[in-house]
Amino acid sequence: MSGRPLPIPDEQSQPFWTASAKHVLTLPRCSNCQKFSFPPDIVCPQCHTLEPAFEFQPVASGGKVRTWTVIRQSFLSGFETPFVLVDVELDAQAGLRMIGQLLDGPSAPLKVGDRVEVAFEDLAPGTSVPGFKLVKSS
Amino acid sequence: MSGQFRARNQVAIVGYAQSQVVRRSDELLGITAIKTALDAIKDAGLTPGQIDGFLSSSLLPTSGDHRSRDGYSVVSSDWLAPRLGASPRYIAGFQGKGQITGSFEAATNALAAGAADYVLLHRALYNPPGKYNNNPMTSAGGDAQWVAPQGFFGALPAISMAYNEYMQRYGASREAMAHLVVEARKNGARQPWSYWAGKPITVADYMAGELINDPMSKLDCDIPVQAVGAYVLTTADRAKDLPNKPVYISGYANAYPEHSLSLHWTLDEMMRAGADIGKRLWESTGFSPADIDAPQFYDGFSPFIYFWLESLGFCPVGEAHRFVLDGGINSDDPKSFAVLSGGGAIGNGRLHGLPQLLECYLQLSGRAAERQRKASVGLMTYSAPHFGGGGVVFTNDPS
Repeated sequence: MSGRPLPIPDEQSQPFWTASAKHVLTLPRCSNCQKFSFPPDIVCPQCHTLEPAFEFQPVASGGKVRTWTVIRQSFLSGFETPFVLVDVELDAQAGLRMIGQLLDGPSAPLKVGDRVEVAFEDLAPGTSVPGFKLVKSS
Repeated sequence: MSGQFRARNQVAIVGYAQSQVVRRSDELLGITAIKTALDAIKDAGLTPGQIDGFLSSSLLPTSGDHRSRDGYSVVSSDWLAPRLGASPRYIAGFQGKGQITGSFEAATNALAAGAADYVLLHRALYNPPGKYNNNPMTSAGGDAQWVAPQGFFGALPAISMAYNEYMQRYGASREAMAHLVVEARKNGARQPWSYWAGKPITVADYMAGELINDPMSKLDCDIPVQAVGAYVLTTADRAKDLPNKPVYISGYANAYPEHSLSLHWTLDEMMRAGADIGKRLWESTGFSPADIDAPQFYDGFSPFIYFWLESLGFCPVGEAHRFVLDGGINSDDPKSFAVLSGGGAIGNGRLHGLPQLLECYLQLSGRAAERQRKASVGLMTYSAPHFGGGGVVFTNDPS
């Protein structure tokens, strides 16, 4: 146990956390307009249907860094500082974003547009959270 | 449909009081609120019995694990009105983002509609024991589950990310921001009631500041404090008979958050909201950016000044950092666009828009003493543009 806050899955989010535990990124897709939105809302923010019936679908794990910050003091307990948070636009859909830790650590050089892919951190038995790792350009 | 504010210049500020700003106080917040309200009513040349309308927003704006108690850590109008011996016929609380602008606009509306003749508007800020935004949560449900397990929590990481976006995109330096923060602290240091009274800082002090969420240091954030501000508003016809020079409300505009990733908006989303506010602000008030000579922009986090300057059209997009470096906001230059002449939040404490409202009022009523500038049209902004951001335009010449 890391002491970091652990997610509490609910009826809507359970599939996401179940897949995360298997190191698979799934994202909610509106069954009306077929667009992804993250995090899932009560209504679909894209087509505004009142019955989005979001389904969590596996998505490609690549994306690019939009911006980042190095957290040297955290408001939350259990985190080892410093750590890097990245805002990533996923390849799966234009404008689809996720925030996660950059698991390469604070000394890795970083710039806007750098390619990353999803990687998971195991926080507790059965609980893993998605983060990102830099993809080395070849 | 006309965007013009129908009650343009029909409502005015006629009095105010600002308490001493302290880190924490032995005096209960409710007591400070009562004293400050009574001072404001007296300043307006009125008595508590004449105040028949009350407006406020009582939110304790922390992401920490603090419980609120009326009269102790928050002060609502419902709590305050009976303790002043007033006979209210209208009390309302603004609930939502954009607390000071939202409640101020509601006060204006109430007077314009005739729901009250004299309104007391107040805002009471409290600094709870312990760290202001620290949260000892060990599990995260609801919206927090999507970001808190990763370590993303509270406003600071979100603003740091947007500011980093700005720096990367436009090549802005920390030196430019140093000049902005030094300007805020310079003007706050000149306010006898300020938490930072007599304590300006230098560019070197700023550059030596330890980063907490890159690229931001503590000096980019306002410090949590306890303080109360109170204002008396009335209709333009009643204002003429009162002792202070009235400052009229010409109109206002707001923006509300787009659906976005929990507590994180991109720089573009922030700027879009600001541009939207600007467009409707000029429609509402009949003024244009060139008319504004008493600007006071919200600076709870220092980069907000850049975002407001650019999105409202006072600077080309991407240029605010250069504008600041070139002395564009230096209050000691009578020709500058001195958006922090009152010291703002960084120069006075975490007062959630009170310093901006106060400085607009003081400049336009001619009560700014040694800080007095030539002023006829003021603009205060509050919050970040995308997060219940709002702007209110004032004038001292309703003709």
